[in-house]
Amino acid sequence: MTEIPFKNPGWAGNVGEYDLTEEQVRGIDFVGVRPLEGGHPAGSSTYPYMMEDKDPEAPLFEGPYEERLEKILTRYPTKRAALLPVLNLAQEVRGHVSPQTMDRVGEILELSSAYVRGVATFYTMYNKRPVGRHLVQVCTNISCNLCGAEDVLKAFLAHTNTEMGATSLDGAFTVMEAECLAGCGFPTCVQINSRYYENLTVEEVPRLVAHLRAQDAGAARSTGPEDEG
Amino acid sequence: MGYPYSHEKEVPILSKYFGDPEARTLDGWEAREGYQALKKALDMDPEEVVEAVKASGLRGRGGAGFPTGLKWSFMPKAKDKPHYLLCNADESEPGTFKDRELMRWVPHQLIEGCLIGAHAMGAEHVYIYCRGEFFEATQVLAKAVEDAYEAGVIGDDVMGSGRKIDVTVFAGAGAYICGEETGLMNSLEGRRGEPRVKPPFPAAVGAFGMPTTINNVETLAAIPHIVANGGEWYRQWGSEKSPGTKLFCVSGHVRRPGNYELPLGFPLKDLIYDVCGGMIEDRALKAVIPGGSSVPILSAEEAEGCALCYEGVIEAGSMLGCASVIVMDETTDIVHQVMRMASFYAHESCGQCTPCREGTAWVTTILKRIEDGRGTEEDLDTLVEVTEQMTGTTICVLSDSVAAPVQSSIAKFRDEYLALIRRGERVGAA
Repeated sequence: MTEIPFKNPGWAGNVGEYDLTEEQVRGIDFVGVRPLEGGHPAGSSTYPYMMEDKDPEAPLFEGPYEERLEKILTRYPTKRAALLPVLNLAQEVRGHVSPQTMDRVGEILELSSAYVRGVATFYTMYNKRPVGRHLVQVCTNISCNLCGAEDVLKAFLAHTNTEMGATSLDGAFTVMEAECLAGCGFPTCVQINSRYYENLTVEEVPRLVAHLRAQDAGAARSTGPEDEG
Repeated sequence: MGYPYSHEKEVPILSKYFGDPEARTLDGWEAREGYQALKKALDMDPEEVVEAVKASGLRGRGGAGFPTGLKWSFMPKAKDKPHYLLCNADESEPGTFKDRELMRWVPHQLIEGCLIGAHAMGAEHVYIYCRGEFFEATQVLAKAVEDAYEAGVIGDDVMGSGRKIDVTVFAGAGAYICGEETGLMNSLEGRRGEPRVKPPFPAAVGAFGMPTTINNVETLAAIPHIVANGGEWYRQWGSEKSPGTKLFCVSGHVRRPGNYELPLGFPLKDLIYDVCGGMIEDRALKAVIPGGSSVPILSAEEAEGCALCYEGVIEAGSMLGCASVIVMDETTDIVHQVMRMASFYAHESCGQCTPCREGTAWVTTILKRIEDGRGTEEDLDTLVEVTEQMTGTTICVLSDSVAAPVQSSIAKFRDEYLALIRRGERVGAA
């Protein structure tokens, strides 16, 4: 592999710089952390994070999220148009979009439950079932496929000890096949939660999985006592 | 400048500041002559701006190549109802990865293009529909829009001109079909992203039932440069029918894949062997898809004589699409790759039209059967027949997009299919 000529703040694949923080990957010096209340209404419809901690029972549209909901509603001439951004918000909070979540979203936007389900099931990014802390989506479409993406996918399944689309017993990983992630020049392109890992090779997969596991262990140590107490 | 590699033959206009984090900030962009074109455009009559874009000959960069100035001129002048400009940032054509770089490296260039377009067409609101998976790019863009609001570049009084233009960044939720213009409109309105029957065309009845124009990210990003320098300036590159520069997304078996900004008409052969450093391990070229997975595959001979402009690629037997060049070497199992493309379209078919919903699924099934060694020679005829019935019979062109790789691969790589069917021989098999 040829050396990459300059350092990309969003680049994590080439040299296995997995210990870059989310902020570094996003270019913290410029972007900052998107505020939970959505910041300026113009940007409130974006879906900034897919969190590692996924609490399917978390309260919806409370506190800062309520504020974000209000902002989203100001940007469209119809309430219906807020459906995708509001489902996005719900998934950010809960990690997946359950039938109950869809019903709640429908109530807020004055849409029937059936309609909301019809829309939510159309889009692949809405997790209809709970997923692991790390949602691993491996692109196996043509450009990545030419460069060995199917082997990378197999390596993820083997090293996380899961089956395709299923969640590992410890709840840490869900591994899925993804359609083109628009990272074709950097194969294999893998999205884990909100972050792209590019130029991933089969050899790097065990290191990355171990890194994510170590991160989880660290997170559990720092928040563990409160969680259990 | 190309990303992640650059090359001396490039003409970096849109991509000039790729890799330069300073250009992402409002101050940094203004220091690089940013928002000067917007200022100039606001002093011009909207019609003059449309004329300048027409004069440049800029063609839509999303794949269809429709002249942008002409598209803009379809918007009704009457101000009796809201007008919308939509920016299609739902980049999802396999092989394409230029819009993400345009959004995350030069977000203000895109915003400037959007504002100029909104001024030219009398639009009050611009929606930038970003692909849901682009968390990073969307964040960069959202931040840039926020900063532009704070500086009065967007808002009730755009740069003191008295014009009111709002910009909203929208995030999709994962559906290839939302890259189709009317599918995108349905998705923006909170519906399933199913394409609409045309007519009525978006300029008459578009998003929220109002006059709407939709442009690709790269198209809008070129606008500030055209307005600043004039339409004729843009014509110094490219050909009569394909003026200007274009970002070429090269992926697959080349040494230096990535984005390169080159004048249209650039020889495909030079792109592969010079700009991209040649084939990996100097293996032989087998096939090239020149415009994303929806266009016919070119054989090595066809590719080597191909000029990368709209008319040049048609002459070679394919389409330029969004200039996503997928390069395949001699080790490529064409049958497997075509099967993978077909299964993609089967997954992404919205299911409205029967030929597409059924056709994509059956084509995938037959290709899988051939791959598994259970195919017959008749299957090839069936594939051609089925894909012929999928062409031109549906609301949008997703169905036609399956036909292109299937038919072209059977025509050009029939031996490879036959070797698999008759003798179970596979290319690239260990």
